[in-house]
Amino acid sequence: MGEILIELEHVGIAFSAGRSVVGGRFWALEDVNLQLRRGERLGVIGRNGAGKSTLLRVIADILAPDRGRVRRAPVTCQLLSLSLGFVPHLSGRDNAVLSGLMLGLRRREIVKRLPAIREFSELGDFFDQPIATYSSGMNMRLAFSVAIQVEPDVLLIDEVLSVGDAEFQQKSGAAMAQRMGEGQTVVLVSHDESQIAKRCDRVLWIEHGRSVLEGGRDEVFAAYHNDLHLVADKR
Amino acid sequence: MHRHLIELILFSTYAELRAEAARSYLGLIWWVLEPAMMMGAFWLVFDVILHTGGPDYLPFLLIGMTLWQWMKSCITHGGYAIWSNLAMVRQVNLPPIVFPLIAMLSDTVKFMFIFALLVGILWAMGYPPNAAYWALPILFLAIFAAAAGAGFVVASIVPLVPDLRFVIEQVLTVVMFLSGVIFPLAKVPPGLQWLMALNPVAVVMDDARGILMHGQLPNWIGLGKVGAIALAMCAIGSLTVHRLAPRFPKLAG
Repeated sequence: MGEILIELEHVGIAFSAGRSVVGGRFWALEDVNLQLRRGERLGVIGRNGAGKSTLLRVIADILAPDRGRVRRAPVTCQLLSLSLGFVPHLSGRDNAVLSGLMLGLRRREIVKRLPAIREFSELGDFFDQPIATYSSGMNMRLAFSVAIQVEPDVLLIDEVLSVGDAEFQQKSGAAMAQRMGEGQTVVLVSHDESQIAKRCDRVLWIEHGRSVLEGGRDEVFAAYHNDLHLVADKR
Repeated sequence: MHRHLIELILFSTYAELRAEAARSYLGLIWWVLEPAMMMGAFWLVFDVILHTGGPDYLPFLLIGMTLWQWMKSCITHGGYAIWSNLAMVRQVNLPPIVFPLIAMLSDTVKFMFIFALLVGILWAMGYPPNAAYWALPILFLAIFAAAAGAGFVVASIVPLVPDLRFVIEQVLTVVMFLSGVIFPLAKVPPGLQWLMALNPVAVVMDDARGILMHGQLPNWIGLGKVGAIALAMCAIGSLTVHRLAPRFPKLAG
């Protein structure tokens, strides 16, 4: 087993409800525990509104916990975000550099990868045209091609595994699968259980902002499904 | 600051300028045309119609407006930068101060173009470049530090209280009129003159006109005080941004 990279102990995150001065707070995460080790592929499951995306932003060090503790080894964590920082009137090339910088790459690293980004996105000469002229499919192809270049120690993914038309979906899905198979430490949040079942070895189940169970994939899924049936039966 | 952040700030500044130039038909020309139109309007009202100024009024006004527009855009654009980038703040772990810095740097690049034009106009009006110009970079540094400091403070508060945007513009208009941008402060009643001397904007306006119109070096003690106030504002501003940073990713845009 690899060393522990990130550890959450009884972490809670509160948001203020509404913009008014008198608004109260609500806890998006109440009490979450988690251990992430190097090389691990951890899936996070739970119903809508369970706090999965909030949890991912805590792991990414975007949100600081309002209670509990987060311990992290000196590693880079990056949330895989598509179209981050894209500016409509700039060329695909400039946007690739801009987005790459936002995703934590150094400029020379991105410049070195521009040919690969151009190639993967299949944009051809459009690569040097303003992205305002792109179709939404072309936009997604560029966004994915840039995002897949990012190489943090811990890769955080929120429901973006494949984009674009059927053909590009297959290609981007394959690229993603390859990245996740290379010993990359991954945390994956998804509604789609089959994605998590296919790609993760360990699973954390959260409900109403609380850790319910963390463990091996099959064990957690069995308990989760059991619970879903119980709830369904009660109705 | 980390090298990666410097690259990010510089490239984003380039991207912002590039995108802005591409957004309108006349592109870059607006950078100069817009302030020129505004100066024209003030000249029409205060000189032609109200006869506020004397023979030197036009250069007086042009210099004041050019510098003031730069300060104002740093404070407002920089001030709104974190708020308008909240979607990004929620997605990446970046120190939020980069957003106002990008806005201020691109406004500063635009100011350079306008200032070059101003020097040309002044020359044509009989105020050629002179030996005192070497003091301009120092003056500009003081102006930028003061504007950046104010901009940082605004930038850290506007995401929490967006309503503030409606107040800021009005406050800045008042500051403009009280700083000798439009009319000389000599017209202020003597009882209030001491207050004006403490206003950093008024001091840099006087110094800039001294250099550009009369070849006169700034009063270094006065400018030194302004510089110290500016640096203090910068420190307070960046500290406020830093202190409030954990709250920004939780805000809805």
